[in-house]
Amino acid sequence: MSKPPAITAAEIEIIARRHGLTSFAPEHMARLAELAEKVAETGRALPRLPSKSDEPAHVFRVPQK
Amino acid sequence: MSALHHLSVTEAGALLAARKLSPVELVDAVLARIDAVDSKIHSYITVNADGARKQAKAAESEIMAGRWRGPLHGIPFAPKDNYFTAGIRTTGASRLMLEHVPTETATCIQKLEAGGAILVGKLNCWEYGTGGGGFFVYDDLPFPLARNPWNTERYTGGSSTGAGASVPAGTALFALGSDTGGSVRLPASACGLQGLKATYGLISRAGCLPNCWSLDVNGALTWTVEDNAIVTQAMAGYDPKDPASAQVEVADLRKELHAGVRGMTIGVVRDLGLDASIIEPSQTRAFEEMIKVLASSGAVIREIALPAPLASYQQVVGTINASESLSIHETDFMQRSHLMGRSLREKMMTGFSVRAVDYLAALRLRSVLAKSTDAMIRGCDAVIMPGAFHVAPRFTDHDLVGRFSTENSTGIFNLSGHPAMSICTGFDADGMPLNAQIVGRYFDEATVLRVAQAYESATSWRARRPTL
Repeated sequence: MSKPPAITAAEIEIIARRHGLTSFAPEHMARLAELAEKVAETGRALPRLPSKSDEPAHVFRVPQK
Repeated sequence: MSALHHLSVTEAGALLAARKLSPVELVDAVLARIDAVDSKIHSYITVNADGARKQAKAAESEIMAGRWRGPLHGIPFAPKDNYFTAGIRTTGASRLMLEHVPTETATCIQKLEAGGAILVGKLNCWEYGTGGGGFFVYDDLPFPLARNPWNTERYTGGSSTGAGASVPAGTALFALGSDTGGSVRLPASACGLQGLKATYGLISRAGCLPNCWSLDVNGALTWTVEDNAIVTQAMAGYDPKDPASAQVEVADLRKELHAGVRGMTIGVVRDLGLDASIIEPSQTRAFEEMIKVLASSGAVIREIALPAPLASYQQVVGTINASESLSIHETDFMQRSHLMGRSLREKMMTGFSVRAVDYLAALRLRSVLAKSTDAMIRGCDAVIMPGAFHVAPRFTDHDLVGRFSTENSTGIFNLSGHPAMSICTGFDADGMPLNAQIVGRYFDEATVLRVAQAYESATSWRARRPTL
């Protein structure tokens, strides 16, 4: 899969405001955009497990007693 | 005899039990040491002098009346300032909590105090016990940077910075840290201590400010291995207030502590799936010497390999850590991020950017990696490997300060949950401590400590203390 285009500062600002991050200083918003791109790269690097039944470690269990 | 503030827990405990030393003398000696040197190392955020003296007098009365509680009775200690202490300020080293005085005390501290240990204060740390080495570069928190007592121009490792600084300096006889990716073991390695991250779930985290629920483990930083066995024993055990607490029988950690390693199979991980030149040569030489010491003590050494490159573990730990941390501190981030230091704020930003599907991919991969790592460990009695790859850098070396927190093998065992201990393996040409990591099977802290004890007993590193 080819690398998708990097997220822009304007795009991250829209996402941030949509999720309630409204009082962020402009320099913090710019840093958020940089970090978002690094996070996206890390996320793409995480292998997907082949089996749909491989559940995560914190699967919900009802109390046993 | 050593100066009172430089006694080990084991030594002081024996003197107190024999009534050759009073808890009042010992606490006064540690408080005097704090007065004398803490302005150089900034190990404390809050000193509990009056409370400690009151507890010491009570301990003295009990011991003199024949009511000795055990090896921690009368021993002065201090926890990282993310352990809640009723009536004593708990700041998390953050502007967000500067005036926070809890009404509850962490289970760990309750257990230690029930054993008679005396809380002398709260120790410095990274903000909220989280973030990265950037804290030391930005220097933007409300308290001065903790400094390494072996050289105050150098870094302590983090996030339990004050815990690392205090014990070698003698401002506490033992310290408590918390470890999400190495925050007990990295300051232990930088400051020449023995730091144990127990099996996930063995030690309660109730009453501590969480950093990352599924990775956090509380643990002790001590001068000797036996001290660590004593403190870990006192803290271990099921706690219904901690949802991750394990319902297992706690082994007697001192029963076979001095039994040696003859006949044990010790796995050696030299290849961590990275460019070996990242590891400083002094660390590598000390690690090779450690292998020789264990072999000459009768251990069978077996070369083994991690089931995945170190980077795979780090991607998983990083994704889980940032996501859960934001979930914990979301309200602070959304409403008061301007009060956060840059390092914590950027960690929150990282968590803000993680997609749910990537977090779940990380959790799923964690299960697979933990299982394969466990299979590797189960083939041996214990495993050793390089821990922190660097010696504590100078504060002015910003690049290396940052890399100290990322170039290490500690996070592997937060991911897998196995017990792992940082042990001092000597000193480099500049007199700075070196380290290695000893790892064991789930809930087999006893063997980790036994291997560590065998190495410590065969070497003379505990004879050296920093000069301040």
